[in-house]
Amino acid sequence: MTAFIATFWMGFKFLWRNPVNIAILVCFPIIIILILGNALAAYISPDTDLAPAPIAVASDPDGTLGMFLQTEDISRFLDITFTNREGAEQMAADETVIAAIFEDRGDISIVRPGVGGLHTQLVLSIIDSYKQIGSAATIAAMSGKDIYALLDMEVNVRDVPLGTRIPEAMDYYAVTMLVMILLYTGMNGMDLFSKGLLSDMGNRNRLSPISKPALIGGLLAASTVTSYLQGMATFIFTGAVYGVYWGERIPLVLLTLFAFVLFSQSLCVFLVMALRNQGVVSAIAQVFFWTSTFVSNGYMKIDFGAMDKVFQYAPNAMAHTIIFGAIFGGNEMKMTVFLIALFGISAVLFVLAFLCGRRRLA
Amino acid sequence: MIASMTNIVKRYRAHTALDHLDLAIREGETLGLLGPNGAGKTTAIRVLTGLTGVDAGEVRLFDSDTPVTASAVKRRIGLVPQDLALYETLSARDNLSYFGRLYGVTGAALKARVGEVLDVLGLSDVAGKSPKKYSGGMKRRLNIGCAIIHKPELLILDEPTVGIDPQSRNHILDFVEEMNRQGTTVLYTSHYMEEVERVCSRVLIMDTGRVIAEGSVEELTRTSLFEETVTLEVRDPAPALAEGIGKVQGVLRCEVEGRLLTVTSTAGSQNLARILENASPYTILGASAKRPTLEDAFLALTGKKLRDGSENE
Repeated sequence: MTAFIATFWMGFKFLWRNPVNIAILVCFPIIIILILGNALAAYISPDTDLAPAPIAVASDPDGTLGMFLQTEDISRFLDITFTNREGAEQMAADETVIAAIFEDRGDISIVRPGVGGLHTQLVLSIIDSYKQIGSAATIAAMSGKDIYALLDMEVNVRDVPLGTRIPEAMDYYAVTMLVMILLYTGMNGMDLFSKGLLSDMGNRNRLSPISKPALIGGLLAASTVTSYLQGMATFIFTGAVYGVYWGERIPLVLLTLFAFVLFSQSLCVFLVMALRNQGVVSAIAQVFFWTSTFVSNGYMKIDFGAMDKVFQYAPNAMAHTIIFGAIFGGNEMKMTVFLIALFGISAVLFVLAFLCGRRRLA
Repeated sequence: MIASMTNIVKRYRAHTALDHLDLAIREGETLGLLGPNGAGKTTAIRVLTGLTGVDAGEVRLFDSDTPVTASAVKRRIGLVPQDLALYETLSARDNLSYFGRLYGVTGAALKARVGEVLDVLGLSDVAGKSPKKYSGGMKRRLNIGCAIIHKPELLILDEPTVGIDPQSRNHILDFVEEMNRQGTTVLYTSHYMEEVERVCSRVLIMDTGRVIAEGSVEELTRTSLFEETVTLEVRDPAPALAEGIGKVQGVLRCEVEGRLLTVTSTAGSQNLARILENASPYTILGASAKRPTLEDAFLALTGKKLRDGSENE
């Protein structure tokens, strides 16, 4: 136990006293949030004096989508014309609107003339929030109407928090950023395991009487705790400075963050044990981090077409789904499956890492 | 014997790093291990400490059948690796404390031992600083400190003075001598013959994975060398002088260059008096006999210079 604690404490100090690590994992995200957060907040917030975005909506104004778009917080950003399908298509073709939205038995599609700008992103985000964040429950809470009367479908019986609100730019952005930061903390695991097992220091550790479980456990505990605390720094910072809404199911959010920290550690530890070259692992990990973040979307919605169905299983996307769901209400089954998947993938990666490194540790 | 390796064979694919190596370390001695690049010194140390397995042969430590990888055995060994093995973002004190705890030294005993090691290594004043801010010599000293924090009975130093200033080298050599005086058995490898000559009571010379010579420095130089050299400085030496000296028993050749006569004889000829007798008609300005060194013995035995490039096996 002494050796385990010694290894944990050493690893913890080693990571926290590494100025590069601190710069990348604490200062960098905070600076980015300060810059981009302010930039976004300046354009998009309930207080923004933003000219309404003209859109055409081919849907029933009294349906759930129609009501959602006409709620006070949303409608102030939009100049909505309700029309039929042909009319909406024509308006999009004439570019008199920045988007045409079609609803057909619950399926929503959007036509965007050109690549779109900030207004287009705004519309996409609003529709995304409607699609992904329990819009019916949101409308029920906001309109004061009976949710059962609004929905012509089986009702997912769950308490709807009265404080439910429409997510704002920073609510999205903070989740995306936090998840990305936690993915990056995999570098902590890579650093510690590379140094503690594969280098000359590894020989020195292995020559000492410490048991393998104590050594590996100590290193893993140090990288996990450090990474989790780094994530917490962003979590608290965004809540305190930008008033980011983390919802009322904080334990579930924190559990998801923990699962994601484990995933990021397991991924990098596996890579470093398999490839045994920190430089190569670092390069591969960076590519993966950015790719996973990019395809998982965030505040800025990107349409990947058919690939969207695949990309929803990207690690960041799974974490987004669980966290957004925990905050704003979402598909409980999907959230549970994704949470179990994150723990499961981490376990598999740790086993693979052990198998790759077992000769080295023998 | 505190450690022995018997008939050890270690292969890396087609390359045989250790070829039926026999090596024994006696309790209380400082054993020097010398060898040119690729001789197998580092592999021998890795096998001895259990970091590398063997294809054949037996390793015994502390006269026990307990495997070298057992905790009880590990607690009695300290290894100073060739490359620095330190956590550079931690302070010297933290590095020492970490390794102390790994070896089961805790509490007040650990605190006292850390202070003691810092003192001995001359690092007390910088104990709170990170090794990143240390000179090369200070890092080397801390590297040693991490290996002795638990007071090992067998201390293995693999090239502990590479790339450091003379002052730090002296400090380390003094320290090794002191450790040995206090009863620690030391296995010491180095590129620097003068270090081995100074600290080692016995020397093994390795080449191509096996021990090719063994003995004290004096024994090795006496038995390995075939030639001795005497240099005379003579005013106006005539060609007849070189001829005369060339006829002295044991002299292999006599070369004249200006005032200098370099006389090479078979080792052990003991013909210095007769050489001087031949030169006595001339004014002898100076005379010197080159004392054979371990470096000469090494060259004679292996045909290689020890410091041809870096040692990486």
